[in-house]
Amino acid sequence: MHPDARRLNRWSWIFIAAGTARTLIFPVIGATVVSGGVLLARLDLLSLIFIVPALVYAVIKQKVYNYRFTESELVVRDGLLTRNVRHISYERIHNVTLVRNPFHRMLGLVTARVETAAGGKPEALLRVLSLEAAEELRRYTLGEQEETTSTDAPLLQVPDRELVRLGLISNRGFLVVAVVLGGVSQTQWWDQDWAAILEKVRARAPEWMGWLFESWSITGGVLFGVVFALCFLVLLRLVSIGWYLVRYRGFTLQQKDNDLRAEYGLLTKVSSLIPVHRIQLVTVSVTFLHRCFGRASIDLETAGASDAGSDLSGQLATSGVHNTRQWLAPIVEAERATELLREVLPEIDIDAVEWEPIEARAVRRIVNRAAMIITPVTLIIAAVLTFTPIPLSGWYALWLPAVTLSIIWLITRRWVRRAGYALTDCAIFFRSGWLGRQISVVRFVNMQTVSMHQSPFDHRKRMASLAVDTAGAGGLGHRIRIPFLDVDIAESILKRLYVETRSTEFRW
Amino acid sequence: MVDGEEHQVDPRSVKVARIIGVPLTLLFAMVPLIAFTLGKVLRGMPTRIYLSLLGGLLVLLALFLLVAYLWPAARHRRLRYLVDEGGLRIRRGVFWRMVIWIPITRVQHTDFSQGPVQRRFGLATLTVHTAGTAGASISLEGLEYEIAKRLCEHLRPDRVTHAS
Repeated sequence: MHPDARRLNRWSWIFIAAGTARTLIFPVIGATVVSGGVLLARLDLLSLIFIVPALVYAVIKQKVYNYRFTESELVVRDGLLTRNVRHISYERIHNVTLVRNPFHRMLGLVTARVETAAGGKPEALLRVLSLEAAEELRRYTLGEQEETTSTDAPLLQVPDRELVRLGLISNRGFLVVAVVLGGVSQTQWWDQDWAAILEKVRARAPEWMGWLFESWSITGGVLFGVVFALCFLVLLRLVSIGWYLVRYRGFTLQQKDNDLRAEYGLLTKVSSLIPVHRIQLVTVSVTFLHRCFGRASIDLETAGASDAGSDLSGQLATSGVHNTRQWLAPIVEAERATELLREVLPEIDIDAVEWEPIEARAVRRIVNRAAMIITPVTLIIAAVLTFTPIPLSGWYALWLPAVTLSIIWLITRRWVRRAGYALTDCAIFFRSGWLGRQISVVRFVNMQTVSMHQSPFDHRKRMASLAVDTAGAGGLGHRIRIPFLDVDIAESILKRLYVETRSTEFRW
Repeated sequence: MVDGEEHQVDPRSVKVARIIGVPLTLLFAMVPLIAFTLGKVLRGMPTRIYLSLLGGLLVLLALFLLVAYLWPAARHRRLRYLVDEGGLRIRRGVFWRMVIWIPITRVQHTDFSQGPVQRRFGLATLTVHTAGTAGASISLEGLEYEIAKRLCEHLRPDRVTHAS
């Protein structure tokens, strides 16, 4: 071991073992359910199979793991059988995220994730460090000042009532309920004699409700359905509110020198540092529900790893989807959103840009294409109505194109009118949305390649779409992809963007 | 070469693509052929059905061979590249067309490769890597070896950084 090397905290083995246990918990629960509880009776066997090796692994890992700071890099040494030495230069480090759950706090410890542009998994996971060691890590890797120097007023603080609003706005509840329902369906809970249960309920119900249970009562069925749907919706929103209150409680965004620090979490406290120059793309979202509450959300993409997957709820919520976005502001008053963005990135002023429209011809193109699909369907329905004994004239089939096409026309017209792009001397903006609106911004320094695409339809109508590629772009979310541009305009923007990127240098 | 003019890649690349594509199509046709023949020999498939299946296969094969023969030429006709002091532009696509600009300042590294058939013709594929996501690596096939090598050198990011 190098003389300067630092070890993990002496309690590390507990947290390493807990981490292993967490990845095993679902397979174990699954195995228990499948075996019909047989495994539960053999806890001794289970512990031998899972717990002992996990503990041994944790103890060894703690002994082997060490790290040191050199002039320019963090050197992490790991691995028992295959020695693994990782050199991470401070330059490449985008973010050091500190995570503290209640156990961490009880012992005054912290888990540190060192993130680079590689994305996906953190470059190094230091589980666990004392608070002083974590401060030292941040000082070396990010050149950060001592904690006490940050006395600036926070850029944003999200009180609880705002988180409740966020829970109402967001659809996060869907994911959690879906996961829960998925688990319930595994237990075959649905395989019950529902008719018998209905009988029981009917026997207990007061007299005046009897009509609800008349066989084939349509009113009863509809009423039952509506009540069920309402309960489900309320449940969704409650879960959603709860999720946000636990995960984002006390969200605070602070400016420190040139970096941003976000802190949040009720049980698991997360403290995440975002170097401003590493922000690749920013999106301001105002969905329909946001608009009802007069709020907006701002998220951003850094080229580094995501903030997801740090705890169980995070894993549930983002399972399977690689999300590279993180919040700049989970919820903020709509009027304050652009101002906040300006405080963080002074060169980006959404209020000041002059929006250019996309081609209005796009509406006709989309409606025409929809008509091409709907026409044969209409003809088939008309034929069926005419040649079968259904007592309706074939002309009734015309209702279908009349209704659908006018709806499609209304929606696309609104979408096309509200979509637009803008170029300033340092960034490109794109906005879109039918009921709500999302605006994405990429600064020229952060653009990688610029491209123009034409489908055969685009080509025939002399249109094209324009795309800007950035580092660390996840599959999800709004980004700079401008459709339905006139091909000549698209070519000239393409050229302009190329000239802009050519003359600037990309900094990681 | 670094002239800001549009160029086509080497026309021999059409031949290369055909030399690879046509035998590959024939090879793929062998799979159903063997399956049908096994069906006939082992499972006693009626001769009439066997022959009609073979007929269908033949028609499909003719179609695919035609595509394998014509497609490389069509692709070549649409593939253009342009190199200037600051970067590389590629224009490609027969039905779905696209133009992409890659500024040298965004190039992480470049490399070029030669398949066995390409080597016979002295051709190479240039690949440019960027830090982007969708455009993380962009290839340009069918360049003459010498040109590929010079482009590879020209698009090196450190060259520009030192110059500026």
